[in-house]
Amino acid sequence: MIKFSNVEKKYPNGLLALNDINLTIEKGEYVAVIGLSGAGKSTFIRCINRMHDITDGTLIVNDVEVAGLKGKEVRQFRRNIGMIFQSFNLVTRTTVLKNVLVSFVPDLPFWRKIFGLFTKEQKMQALSALDQVGILDKAYTRVDQLSGGQQQRVALARTLAQNPDIILADEPVASLDPVTAGQVMDDFKKINQEMNITVIMNIHHVDLALAYADRIIGIRKGEVVFDGKSSMVNQSVLDHIYGRAQSIEVRKEGAKMNHV
Amino acid sequence: MNAIEKQLLSEKKNYQYITWIFVIVFVLFIWSLSAIQLNNMGTSGLTIAKNIITGILHPDLDLLFNITEKGVAYLLIETMAIAFLGTIIGAILAIPLAFLSASNVVPKPLAFVTKILLIGIRTIPAIIYGLMFIRVTGPGPFAGVLTMSLISIGMLSKLYADVIEDLDTSVLESMTSIGCTMFEKIRYGIIPQLLAMFLSIVIYRFDMNLRDASVLGLVGAGGIGAPLIFAMRSYRWEEVGSILIGLVLLILIVEFISNKIRNKLVRGY
Amino acid sequence: MFDKIFVPKKIILPNGKVVLEKRSYTPLILLILLIATIFSVHITGFSMEVIVKRIKEFFVILDQMIPPNWEYTPKLWQPLMDTIKMSLLGSALGAIVALPVAILASSNIIKSSIVVSIVKLLLSILRTLPTLVSALIATFIFGLGTMAGTVAIFLFTIAYVAKLLYEQIENANMDAYEAMESIGLTRIQAFRYAIFPQVLPNYLSTSLFCFEGNVRYASILGYVGAGGIGLLLSEGIGWRNYANVGIILLMLAITVFIIENLSEHFRKKLV
Ligand SMILES: Nc1ncnc2c1ncn2[C@@H]1O[C@H](COP(=O)(O)OP(=O)(O)OP(=O)(O)O)[C@@H](O)[C@H]1O
Ligand SMILES: [Mg+2]
Repeated sequence: MIKFSNVEKKYPNGLLALNDINLTIEKGEYVAVIGLSGAGKSTFIRCINRMHDITDGTLIVNDVEVAGLKGKEVRQFRRNIGMIFQSFNLVTRTTVLKNVLVSFVPDLPFWRKIFGLFTKEQKMQALSALDQVGILDKAYTRVDQLSGGQQQRVALARTLAQNPDIILADEPVASLDPVTAGQVMDDFKKINQEMNITVIMNIHHVDLALAYADRIIGIRKGEVVFDGKSSMVNQSVLDHIYGRAQSIEVRKEGAKMNHV
Repeated sequence: MNAIEKQLLSEKKNYQYITWIFVIVFVLFIWSLSAIQLNNMGTSGLTIAKNIITGILHPDLDLLFNITEKGVAYLLIETMAIAFLGTIIGAILAIPLAFLSASNVVPKPLAFVTKILLIGIRTIPAIIYGLMFIRVTGPGPFAGVLTMSLISIGMLSKLYADVIEDLDTSVLESMTSIGCTMFEKIRYGIIPQLLAMFLSIVIYRFDMNLRDASVLGLVGAGGIGAPLIFAMRSYRWEEVGSILIGLVLLILIVEFISNKIRNKLVRGY
Repeated sequence: MFDKIFVPKKIILPNGKVVLEKRSYTPLILLILLIATIFSVHITGFSMEVIVKRIKEFFVILDQMIPPNWEYTPKLWQPLMDTIKMSLLGSALGAIVALPVAILASSNIIKSSIVVSIVKLLLSILRTLPTLVSALIATFIFGLGTMAGTVAIFLFTIAYVAKLLYEQIENANMDAYEAMESIGLTRIQAFRYAIFPQVLPNYLSTSLFCFEGNVRYASILGYVGAGGIGLLLSEGIGWRNYANVGIILLMLAITVFIIENLSEHFRKKLV
């Protein structure tokens, strides 16, 4: 469970990126965060695993007060939260499997860590994770020979191998073509439903958000302006989140994407 | 002045520029023509040229396939050993220097100073180092190894540093989110990226070092260069022929293999 | 082949799927490197002890180079100019000759594969031959002096520029060439108008780059009697007059620096 109470995030330069956020996300929910560029979506997501520090209020994740964690505790805390990025963030010059195995690195004893010797069990888990996202046959291929969609799946497998309770995804399909984007979204949906992992995803395509997520959080200028079931989202809600003029554009964009 | 006129004028200026360049290059060319002196070349030159060609076409096969210490095969192995050891030593010592000269790792002033030092090392030609190291170790392949090491340090540090300076750091962000420590990020996020590139650079350098090592013998620093110059000075052209054939073959083979491996490392196939 | 000697390990996943884990090459490569290193240490007589004991000799020499002997400077101009002349002339002539040679080595222009392979082979051999060795041979034919150095640089430039040039030509877009051939132009004419413009900037830039490198090579050619400043270098070291060596190296460094920057400036304009 993730609980925001009066959370505020002010960047050192004085910019107020999140203002008085109050909401609760239960285990197993699939949440899409939408809003204009610069609204504070990335900031919102990054506060959850403490990639950013909040400046006021309390944020509780799985019964842990996030702001109170120190040094080693932060790293331990992050082990249970997976994160997916728009740019995949993989080591491109090594194999797929080695990239997935990275998620076991913090658990290794020192000598194994130095030589990069993973246990058979860990290799099995990594391979199973690759199997779950459907690229088992690419395990020994170098990442730079994969397509964008496949690379995002490697990132997803790396996160799954972590065996997380929560997956945070910051625009995971923004650099993929519409068809591949749909496939990756399917993977997320499968993971959410079959493994009961909470998924919180920033996404620019409203139609994808509405099609896949159960719950939509709309952020505008650092404030939550909408929070409810995806079925409740209609044009006036979008107008509210995006401001009148843009929302029509956003819908049109989405419609175009769906027809490709 | 309308756009078309402007365009016309700018073209004229470009022509002027090119004309000037041509004039300058031409003048320099004429000036450098005085490097041609044929007065030293008597009829003996032609005879020698003929002898060299016959020598190369009729190499001393005994020497070429001889496997004693005087044979071409042994000398080539010695040359390879000089180049190899020099490359290995240089490849290792260049790593710290490369990090010290990478402006995204250390403070700019320190990086600048290290870069200047490396430029200094690179300016001095290999055979000068060879001559200096002979004073340290006495003549022989050992001096060659030290020379090759120093040359490699100068060249490799620069190429390494270029790789370090355009490292992809986005993977570090995801490793932070996994809960990795600084050490883990370096070991699994940075080293795998560097390793493939560094290896490819080192193999390329070995290729170059082999060429350099083959001339170090001219100054007495071991390898095939010394027998080559002796054979020439005593006009034993069949011997020269077999040495040259051995050398050229070796370098071509090594170049072929090194290109193959480097392609695999950098592109993955 | 590797897979046959080191059979891949089978991993069976819980759901029954089988993955073949390739054996890592790393241990084998490390072993080979280790053996090669030990072997090389043995052959070359490498000794850490000697380094530790006597490396100071190296720095003694370095120390004697500083301060350099400034009085020696006036005597340097002539040989320094000779070095530049050698590299300039050798590079210019070499680059010009490289053009027809490169055409002869391009499989898309010359239809006879025998000619193409022979020219390519000759170019590889020429490129492989170290400049110092060809300079040495040239001194026997042309006598001691700048002529020998010029010839050595000339030959290397042909080999280097022609190789990069024929790769360019072979990768050039052939559409225009074929169109021109079809309307009755000769192959040379078609090359001149269809392919030459495509490769020209790169050709000039490669030649300039080769010239840069040649200045460095030319500086040591004097060591084998092929003219230029290298002669003074070998004299200075032979007589252990290190202050002279210091000033020569300094002048050389400055010259190389200036020429590299000039050439880089023009190369950037080209591409
Ligand atoms: N490190 C930072 N320091 C200062 N300001 C920042 C920093 N990171 C983000 N901001 C600002 O905070 C605001 C919210 O940024 P955030 O990245 O969360 O937006 P976003 O909704 O993710 O936008 P996008 O859709 O473009 O990714 C923006 O105005 C941004 O300029
Ligand atoms: Mg963002």
